[in-house]
Amino acid sequence: MRNRLNHSRITFALGSLALALAVSSVARAQTDASPAAPPARGGTGGNVLMNKLNNGPGGPAPKRDLNGFWTGPISAQDGEAPSLTPAAQKLFSANKPERKTNVKETNDNFVKTCDPMGFPYNAMYQTRGIGFSTLPDRLMIFYQAQRVWREVWTDGRPLPKNVGGTGKGAPDPRYYGYSVGHWEDDSTLVIETTGIDDKTWLDPRGYPHSVEAHVTERYTRPDHNDLQLTVTVDDPKMYTKPFLLGTNKFRWIPDQELDEQLCVPSDIMEYMNLVGNSSN
Amino acid sequence: MKSRLFTFAALAVAFLAFCGPLLAHHGNASLNTDKVLVLKGATVQRLVWANPHCILVFNMTDDKGNVVQWAGEVGSPSAMNQMGWNRHSVKMGDVITVYFFQAKTGNPVGRINKIVLADGTTLRDSALGADKPAQGAAAQ
Repeated sequence: MRNRLNHSRITFALGSLALALAVSSVARAQTDASPAAPPARGGTGGNVLMNKLNNGPGGPAPKRDLNGFWTGPISAQDGEAPSLTPAAQKLFSANKPERKTNVKETNDNFVKTCDPMGFPYNAMYQTRGIGFSTLPDRLMIFYQAQRVWREVWTDGRPLPKNVGGTGKGAPDPRYYGYSVGHWEDDSTLVIETTGIDDKTWLDPRGYPHSVEAHVTERYTRPDHNDLQLTVTVDDPKMYTKPFLLGTNKFRWIPDQELDEQLCVPSDIMEYMNLVGNSSN
Repeated sequence: MKSRLFTFAALAVAFLAFCGPLLAHHGNASLNTDKVLVLKGATVQRLVWANPHCILVFNMTDDKGNVVQWAGEVGSPSAMNQMGWNRHSVKMGDVITVYFFQAKTGNPVGRINKIVLADGTTLRDSALGADKPAQGAAAQ
């Protein structure tokens, strides 16, 4: 037990260090990109978001570089309706996304109780803002919604096998899975993810997945201020063929500031008591 | 001055047009959005400044003289910030007018379209803040 505690402390310390490094790296990138004094941060600014979204192409994209903070539509564009296996159909019919029901009747645990969204659900539903920071051996991805981060290994390691398996040393499934990434060309980053906890949904449509699901993100940066994301899923246990889950677009944030956007369990309980339970 | 006002109005409209469908954490299917209730004499109880939705809690006196508590959601704090609100926009006891999309259930809950303060200031919702013709103004 003590060993486990010590181990978790060390892991936490290393994680904190990585995060601190990552954040400082973003801060450095931010300084490089914006030599002018940052604009004043006002509480009642009227068109901050408009400015964030209407800043033109901003010149050519730097090569193999997504570093910095981006914003865009909250929800991604849905992809195709996939062809489900019987096992997936059973799970899918038990899922009650808010889109098909309402905030009171849904069994989406993010909507109901602010549970972690997991990946790729968060990328499909609510990023609100997204940040990237490159370390020597990995890429850190930060999400404004819920202040969540992912680490994407770029040191050439393979994805783990047998996540959630019974064998000795099998890694545990995670809400945000295990990710590795590489640059396909100077403007396209490809990230592969597996080992995602199967209690999460793929997206707010309520599509299920297995722990073996293989999710591919493809980020393309056509110019300095634009970033496009395509997400595909390969999960033979659940779907008869790989399919496009959705696409998203992001814009470079001129002042590079993200907001704090937390779904707080006690707040959502108050919301349900005051509004949600009575409005449905 | 006129052109600045026009620019502000254009930006506000563009913001609403762009962000309206995107800023909602929860859907609006349960609301009667065809009809905006005009609730005059609403007495503010509190403004819950929290994610994913801020909530304005206020009292209305119905036809029989009973005080009824109403609760209306608006957008998230960051979205409302963009619309000119902050956590101190209203305080307990303020008497305001609330433009309101009531839940189809008929309960005194729903989504706020806009509020008008005693000094005439108008504060709009981030998602459903565009003007709609008022119908069937509710009794106080």
